[in-house]
Amino acid sequence: MRPAIAALAATGLFALTVASDDLFVRRSLTDVHVVAPRLHFLTGKTLQRLRDGATAPFDFQLTISAGTKNNVIVRAVERFVVSYDVWQEKFAVVRMSDFHKWGMNASSNAAEAWCVDNISLPALKLPAGQDLWARLEIRSVDQKNQSSPVSDSGISIISLVELFSRPPRPQQDRWTLETAAFHADALKQQ
Amino acid sequence: MESQMQSATPMKFALLPLIAAVTLWGQSPDLDAPGQHLLDESTVSRSSNSAAEAPAADSSSDINVNSKYIVASIRFVGRSYRLSRTAIEEMHRLIGARVNTEALTKLTSHIKNELRAHAVNFKLDRGVQPGSVDVLLEVDKVFDLSIPSFAWNSNEGWAGIGEARATLGSNVFTFDVISDRDSLVEQYAGIQAKFERTVPHTDRVFMAFEFDQYHENYAAATHLAMAASDSSSSLGAGLYRSRMNIEPSATFVLAKPLTLTVGVSFEELQPELPAARAESANVVVNTLRYRQSWEDSDAIVQELDAGYNLRAATKLLSSSLGYTRHAANARYYYRNGFQSVEIKVALGLIYGNAPLFERFVLGDSNMLRGWNKYELDPLGGNRLAYSSVTYGYHIMRVFYDAGSVWDQGKPALFKQSAGAGISSGFGRLQRGAFLLALAFPLRQGHVEPVFIAGMNF
Repeated sequence: MRPAIAALAATGLFALTVASDDLFVRRSLTDVHVVAPRLHFLTGKTLQRLRDGATAPFDFQLTISAGTKNNVIVRAVERFVVSYDVWQEKFAVVRMSDFHKWGMNASSNAAEAWCVDNISLPALKLPAGQDLWARLEIRSVDQKNQSSPVSDSGISIISLVELFSRPPRPQQDRWTLETAAFHADALKQQ
Repeated sequence: MESQMQSATPMKFALLPLIAAVTLWGQSPDLDAPGQHLLDESTVSRSSNSAAEAPAADSSSDINVNSKYIVASIRFVGRSYRLSRTAIEEMHRLIGARVNTEALTKLTSHIKNELRAHAVNFKLDRGVQPGSVDVLLEVDKVFDLSIPSFAWNSNEGWAGIGEARATLGSNVFTFDVISDRDSLVEQYAGIQAKFERTVPHTDRVFMAFEFDQYHENYAAATHLAMAASDSSSSLGAGLYRSRMNIEPSATFVLAKPLTLTVGVSFEELQPELPAARAESANVVVNTLRYRQSWEDSDAIVQELDAGYNLRAATKLLSSSLGYTRHAANARYYYRNGFQSVEIKVALGLIYGNAPLFERFVLGDSNMLRGWNKYELDPLGGNRLAYSSVTYGYHIMRVFYDAGSVWDQGKPALFKQSAGAGISSGFGRLQRGAFLLALAFPLRQGHVEPVFIAGMNF
């Protein structure tokens, strides 16, 4: 029995380690960003749909918890819409909170990285001396509901937060990544 | 397989480098059956627009990077569909404008409801002109029962087709039940089963596999003519009581709207006498097809549909009959407002001993209307020359047909006929339409008119 428990514990530890290695925090002058080098959400049917000229919207939520993982102290939500230029063969991403923020990327990996890099939290809000965890949650947007949080003035942050407060629909793809515990003062400014 | 309609106004071409096109395989809305229009992967260009002139997409649709491009065409992938006038007009509005994802999504939703499809998705493909895109509509329709096609000819009787279609992804299964006493020398009834699919990652290659099984009957005139035919006749296989066909093929879009279909057909003919040996007509099939439409304005529409078909029976395919069949046809259609003219030409040539179903026929419900095909040649001929002119005003039609079907070495006797009727469409594009016509053979002596009624044929 004991070896089995040990094996399970080791597996769990390994999974946690992998999850922790999937998301890293970095700090700019004023903001905290995350990096997810192994994250790939532009794959399979979504990628095919993009290459067919459709748009693929994704909702991102970045949170930082302090003390315990459930104690979220700061949160950012964004909707990114990815499309693929059929003539230039490049991926374009628009951040819906400010329609003018565009990114043109030669590869799907670069487009994914652009999305992750363009959601951030204010660094000043991070408390010093506490264990912190950053968590990035991504959901594909149900095509039928994709325009619901978007109005003429941009995207409704409240609607997005509400979206993340609900469990994902079965047909929605979902990715969740978390960092290992870190301290605000340990973040090196880049 | 394709028809392309393009603006012919030189000034527009000079000013506006981007050609806008909508894919229509069928006539303009004015000429179709009320509220129903047939669309497939053929292309129509209605007017020309530059990026600067094109209507701007909504700001909300600018999130698609392709919204800077002009929609040059909208067409279905794989097969044709009958759409309402509203849907056609919705498509026309999108042609020549910048890509608007929201509007395209609305259009696909509209079509999905109209066709009762499981899903309709759109794809953007690079257009012919830089900066233009073609919109390809993919319909995921699980099951479909189409409106049956039929024709009735007071000389020949009925011809009818009932069709059921099932679509699973890009695979299309079609099942037809056919009874035809009109279009061939033989009177046949049976089934056609066909499987078609688009080759993955391209909309330029279509694969198909067809299986047919028919039982034949013959008119008394055909029996008599067959009994009287000499051994030197070019007729192969004699009369047969059934035939079975297996036909794999592939269609390549060479350069829109030019397509090439290549395939083989393995046809087995069971003779009328059970003791006799079955014959086979195993042929290589090649069909080159060009279909294009031009639209100068809402009033003027032109269409050109031309094809060449070669069927060559070869020993390489273990064919017991040896022959080569060439068939060419062309159709030109011009409409200006309520007036229209259609010109059709068909030529055919057979070398060798071809079975009855390959032989050419005139005097049916489509060609040399008004004549009795058994009176012209009860066994059909191995030579064909035919032309037809139809003038239309609103739904009124008057037509004049002329042609001859004969055998090599015998004189070609040209026959003429004329008729009038009402129709909601023309030729093969009148799918979904009806035709009622009275046709007369033009000859001296007693003239018996032939009444023709049809739908979707």
